Amino acid sequence: MPETVRVYNPTPTRRSQLQRTSLPTVTFKGLMVGFIDNAKPNFDHLVEDLTGLLASRHGIAGAITRRKRIAGIPSPQDILRELTRQCGLVIIGSGD
Amino acid sequence: MPSLAIVTAEFITLARAQATALGHSDLPIAVIPHPLGSRAREEVRDIAEQHVDAIVALAVAGAGGEAQISSNKTNGYRVGHEAAFDLADDDSAINKRFRERGWGDGLPVFAPTAARVDEMLGCVRRDRHDVIARIAPGFGEATVELIAVNAVMAGCDPEYLPIVIAAVEAVAAPEFNLQAVQSTTNAATAWLIVNGPAVEQLGINAGSNCLGQGSWANATLGRALHLIMQNVGGARPGEMDQATQGQPGKFTFCCGEQTAGHPWQPLHVERGYAEDTSTVTVVGASGTLNMLSSEKDARQLLRVFADSMRYPTSNDYWCGGAPWIVIGPEHAAILGGAGISKAEIKRELWEQSKMAANRRAPGDIARTQDARREELGKITPETLLPISPCAEDIGIIVAGGSGLHSVYVPTFGNTRSVTRKVDGFR
Repeated sequence: MPETVRVYNPTPTRRSQLQRTSLPTVTFKGLMVGFIDNAKPNFDHLVEDLTGLLASRHGIAGAITRRKRIAGIPSPQDILRELTRQCGLVIIGSGD
Repeated sequence: MPSLAIVTAEFITLARAQATALGHSDLPIAVIPHPLGSRAREEVRDIAEQHVDAIVALAVAGAGGEAQISSNKTNGYRVGHEAAFDLADDDSAINKRFRERGWGDGLPVFAPTAARVDEMLGCVRRDRHDVIARIAPGFGEATVELIAVNAVMAGCDPEYLPIVIAAVEAVAAPEFNLQAVQSTTNAATAWLIVNGPAVEQLGINAGSNCLGQGSWANATLGRALHLIMQNVGGARPGEMDQATQGQPGKFTFCCGEQTAGHPWQPLHVERGYAEDTSTVTVVGASGTLNMLSSEKDARQLLRVFADSMRYPTSNDYWCGGAPWIVIGPEHAAILGGAGISKAEIKRELWEQSKMAANRRAPGDIARTQDARREELGKITPETLLPISPCAEDIGIIVAGGSGLHSVYVPTFGNTRSVTRKVDGFR
């Protein structure tokens, strides 16, 4: 039976304590929806199509779309402030 | 603010882990087929029609939902294991366990035993529980102890620890954009450049084959940083690290800069540090391109360097980047001998590397327009795109051995190099 040795785990064993937000539910009829377009190819088309479908099938009042300069940056604060002020739901995208 | 994410299937692990790391573990996520970007217009319309009702249902249901369509991946960023544990004192068994947990880079590791980690921690005057940074994209806390654990695994000598700590501080600086460097499909990774007395004291290679194998310090310092990025930052390949191919530099990528015979100020002095201060600089590098030229005329040499920097699929031209040149000492002697300053080299490379937008594919020109509208205004096919917003964004170091070679280092583009002082070295 070989001897044992104490070995460290190289990964974090706890996460940072960050504030968790509670996400309220939404009703789509009459809702203003915000989209943050991540500037990846075709996401603008997906947003365009979803906007039309959300209006025709689910009765949203409208949509505000703001496009990031490039995918690999956080959304600019002014966009976040604007969408928070004007929209009841914000939809973001991730992927390729 | 009620929010919802639409994510392509290959990115679900990244999205869920990121949301959790940022305190939004209950973010509703609608999963759509991957890929989206290469599909025809009609296919995108079909995806919208097929998924709009699921998106609405998710939003109405509120927190915590996931419309799982085609992903069976698990969240690769696992936490909650014990910080230390007992294993049979056997290298093969320890490596086997680490492989099972996904804690390595594919090469054997040194077991981070309590004795080895404690010895390394003895080389810094820091509390082992001090948090140096939170490492994106998983935002794990890189404590001094955890940095030492990964440095031991990489094979670092104990006295390397201050370099690794400074490198962790550097990659976590916002302008480095570690979040994107780690999770991008690009091959980008962190290239570590060491300047100052530490280069000689630790035997960091700034000469022949400085970007290759053979130097214990270069190999293990770069490897330690990458293990930390993976193990603490959570960027495991195929999960939060979404690199399409990656590059060999993701194992290790580290060199020193020469001081002897340098015709210009070395990098750390250029950035405001005293010559006898040791620093680390991190660069979001996408790879290396060797540049051979036997030209003796300095202006002609710069012309062919600039032409080598110019290629249509470059992230630097897309975003307005900050690329680098490693000038070999023989080329540096030609340029320095002609009385050309480092600032002049940058200016000339910047001017001469401008590339007509129509060398990029039409679809890529459109993305360039999105990315650089504020900087360049309207881009036409004839617009000459600069490789970086300004000449000063181009980085230069002198390193290498004998020979008529220099190296071009293109970058991720949406990243800026960061220099930090190394505490514990003069």
